[in-house]
Amino acid sequence: MDLVLVQIFNGIQYGFLIFLAASGLTLVFGILGVINLAHGSFYMLGAYLALSLTEATGDVFLACLLGIPLAAVFGWAIERLFIRRLYGRDHLQQVLLTFALILIFNEVQRMLWGNYPHSVPAPTWLSGSIRLTDTLAYPIYRLALTVICAALAAAMFFVIRKTGVGRLIRAGESNREMTELLGFDANRLYGLVFAAGVALAALAGMLAAPVESVYPGIGERILIISFVVVVIGGIGSLEGAFLGALAIGVADALGKVFLPDFAGVLVYALMATVLVVRPAGLFGRTIR
Amino acid sequence: MIRLPSLPVLALLGLLLIGFAALPAFAGPYEVKFATRVLATAVFVLGLDLLIGVTGLVSFGHAAWFGLGAYAVWFVTPPDWEAANLPLALLAAVALPGVVAAVVGLFAVRTRAFYFIMVTLAASQMIFAFFHDTRVAGGSDGASIDVKPALEIAGRTVLDLSNRNALLWLAVAALALAYVFVLTLARSRFGRVLQGLKANETRMNALGFDGAKYKWASFVIAAMVAGLGGAIYASIDGFVPPEILGWRESGLAIMMVVLGGVGSLWGAILGALVYALAEEILKSSDLVGAAISDHWPIAMGVLLIAAVLGAPKGLAGWLPERRARPWSPPADAETSTAAAAPSRPPRLEVDGLRRTFGGLTAVDGVAVAFEPARIHAVIGPNGAGKTTFTNLLSGALPVSGGTIRLDGVDVTALSAPAKARRGIGRSFQRTNVLPGFTVAENCELSAQARGFAGASRAEEARAVAHALAATGLVDRADRTAASLSHGEQRQLEIAMLIASGAKLLILDEPLAGSGPEETARLTALLKDLAVDHTILIIEHDMDAVFACADTVSVLVGGRLLAHGAPDEIRRDAAVREAYLGRFAGLEDAA
Repeated sequence: MDLVLVQIFNGIQYGFLIFLAASGLTLVFGILGVINLAHGSFYMLGAYLALSLTEATGDVFLACLLGIPLAAVFGWAIERLFIRRLYGRDHLQQVLLTFALILIFNEVQRMLWGNYPHSVPAPTWLSGSIRLTDTLAYPIYRLALTVICAALAAAMFFVIRKTGVGRLIRAGESNREMTELLGFDANRLYGLVFAAGVALAALAGMLAAPVESVYPGIGERILIISFVVVVIGGIGSLEGAFLGALAIGVADALGKVFLPDFAGVLVYALMATVLVVRPAGLFGRTIR
Repeated sequence: MIRLPSLPVLALLGLLLIGFAALPAFAGPYEVKFATRVLATAVFVLGLDLLIGVTGLVSFGHAAWFGLGAYAVWFVTPPDWEAANLPLALLAAVALPGVVAAVVGLFAVRTRAFYFIMVTLAASQMIFAFFHDTRVAGGSDGASIDVKPALEIAGRTVLDLSNRNALLWLAVAALALAYVFVLTLARSRFGRVLQGLKANETRMNALGFDGAKYKWASFVIAAMVAGLGGAIYASIDGFVPPEILGWRESGLAIMMVVLGGVGSLWGAILGALVYALAEEILKSSDLVGAAISDHWPIAMGVLLIAAVLGAPKGLAGWLPERRARPWSPPADAETSTAAAAPSRPPRLEVDGLRRTFGGLTAVDGVAVAFEPARIHAVIGPNGAGKTTFTNLLSGALPVSGGTIRLDGVDVTALSAPAKARRGIGRSFQRTNVLPGFTVAENCELSAQARGFAGASRAEEARAVAHALAATGLVDRADRTAASLSHGEQRQLEIAMLIASGAKLLILDEPLAGSGPEETARLTALLKDLAVDHTILIIEHDMDAVFACADTVSVLVGGRLLAHGAPDEIRRDAAVREAYLGRFAGLEDAA
C-alpha cells in the first residue's frame, strides 16, 4: 500500500514536470503552428545548465534563477534564427529543420559536457525525508518540487486566463490571421511565446536534475512523452496538457511497479485509447 | 498527378543501379556492405514516400515496419536449420509488417494530420518496447541471425545471402522492383484516388470514394514495402537491433523523403543515397579533416538546415519533370454524350429532418419533397440552416432525427461516400477542387466514381468529355485547377459532379463571387442540366434564383417557412415579413 502511495506521489511529481515541458510544446504548436522536435533539447539544456550552475553556485535553486533568463534568451535567439523561417511552411519541413537542430544540440552537448551521466545534488536544506505515516517516508526535495511545479502551473493558468498577454496568446491560438489583422505585432508575440516555452522546458530540466541523473539522451525521452501528453490533451490546449501530463505521470509510475514488462507500452496504449475515443484529444478541436 | 520520370531522371536512376550492381568489381567489402545498406534504406524510404508523397499521410512510425521485416527474417530462420529458405524469409518479411500494419491502420486512419503523426509514433514505440523489453527476440541485445537465407532450386544453391555480392545484387533487384511497383501503383486508378485524398479528402469523400479504406490500404502496402527493405537490412550483418524500430529511424526516413523531394518517388532513392553519402563523407577525417569529422552531426545538421531553407522541393526539384500528356477527347465523344448522362434523375424527400448542435437546433423538422428533373432553390437569411441542411442531405453531417429518402429508399444513415455512390453529388460553399491536378484530371478522377455503378473505361472517358464540353472548360482542360479564376473553379466543381455521374446535384452557393456574365452562363448551364438531373441550389442571388428555379423553399431559423413555385413565394406574406429589407431583389421582384 505504501508503495502505491509513493508511486502516486512520484507520478504526480513526474506529471507536473512533464506538464512544464509539454505546455511550451503545445503553445508553440497552437500559436506558432510549428512542430518543434527540438523541444526536448531545451529540457536537456536545462538539466546541463543545472549541472554547471549548481557546481558554480552550490544550490540548484540559485542555478534555476540564473538559468531561466539564459534559457529564455537562448530560445529567443533560436526563434529569430531558425523557427521564424518555418511559419506557414509544411509540417514536413518543420520536422526536418528541428530534427537537424537536435543533431546539432546533441553534439554541442557532447562537446561541452561529454557522454557520462552526472548527478546534481539537492540543496542541503531540503535533503532528507519526511515521515508521512509510520512506515512511509518521502524525500523532501521531491515534495518541494511538486509544490513549486504546482505553483508554476497555477501562475501559468493565471497569466493565460486573466492577463492581457494571456488574452493575446489565447487569441493567437484561436485565430492567428485575425490577431495579426487586429494590429498586434505577431513577430513579437511569437518570439515571446517561443522563449517562454524554452524557458519552461529548461526549468523542468533544471528542477528534475537532482531527482534523476543528467545524461545525453535525457531530452529525447521527455520530447516523446511531451508529444504524447500534447496529443492526449488536444493540441494547443493547456488544460488538456495538464490533465494529460498528470495521467501519464501516474500511469507511468504505477505501471513501473505493477506491469514492469509493459511499462514502456503503457503510456502509448493510454494515448491510443484516448485517440480512439476522441480523435482530437481530450480538449482538442478539429485542426486543418 | 504523379508522372513517369523524365528521361534525364531515368538515365540517372539506370546509371545508379548499374553502378551499384557493378560495385564488387572495383570496391572492397566495406563499400559493398555500405551500398547494400543504402539500397535497403532506399526501399524502406520508398515505402514511406508512397504514404507521405502519394497519400499525404505523414507517418512517424514507419521504421516499425522496416524493423518488423528484419525481425521476420529472424523468426523464420531458427539456428538449427542448415540453410534458411529465401522465398519464405522474404514472404515473412512482407507479411508480418503487413498484418501488424493492417491492425494499426484501422485506428490510425481515423485520425488526421498531426494526430496521425502521433498515433503512428505511438504504435511504433509500442512495437519497439515489445521487442526491447521482452525476450521474444533477444530483447535489448538484439537478435542474431545465424543462418542467412538462401535460395535452393533442385538441390543446388542458386542464391546465398551469406555471399556479400549476392546480397547486393538481390538488393539492387529489390529496389528496382519496389520502385517500378510503387510508381505503377501511384499512377494506377487506385493511386489516383490516393493522390486525390492527399489533395482534398473532403472532395473525394463527396465523390463517393471511401477515403478511410483507401488510406488504410496504402498504409498496409507501404508497410509491406518497408518490410522488404528490412529483410535485406537483416541479411547484411545477420543482426537486428531493436533500435531500428524506434522513432529515430522513422525520423531519419522522413528526412530522406523530404531531402529527396516529397512525392517524386525516385527522390526517395536519391534522398537515402545522398544522406548516407553525406554522413559517410562527414565522418571521414581524411576527406573533411578531424575538426569536422569529430563533430560530424553538427555539419550534418547545418547541411539539413541549408537543404530545408534552400531547396524546399528537395533534390527532385533540381531535375526536370516530364511534361503532362495533353488531354484529348475520346474518338466517340461527339456521338454518344447521351450515354454519359445519367439515366433518370431521382426524387428527394425529407421528413422531420432535424439537426442540433448542443443546445442549438440548426435544422428543425424540415419536411419537403423535391421532384425529379427540376431546379429547386433553398433560400433563407444567414444562419437559417441552409448549409447544415445540405450537409445533412449529402451525409457530411449525421442527422439528429428525421428521414431522407431517395426515390423512396431510406438513405438517412448512409455516410457521405455511400450517399455519393447513390448519386447524390454536392459542391461546397467554398470552392473545393483538387488544386494541383489539371482540369481534365479533376474530371477523370470524378468519372472514376462511375466505376462504382459499373461504368466501363470508355464510358468514363466519354463522361469526362461531356462534362468538359457542358461546362465550357474544354480549352482549359490542361490547366491546373489552382490556376483557374474563381468562376472557372466553380464551373469545374459542376463539371466534376457531371463527370461523377451524380443524378442529384446539391450546389451550395454556386454563384457566389461570380460576375454577371458568369452568372448568366452558370444559370444557363443549370437549366440544361435540369433535363436529366435533379438540382438543389442554395443561393443568395435572388434574381438568379427567381430566374431559373422551378420551386423555392424558404428556411428561417432552421424551419421550413414556405415551399412552392417562385410566384407563390414572392406573394407569400410570411416570406416577405421574414425578408423585408433583406433582399432588395425580392422586393423589386414583388
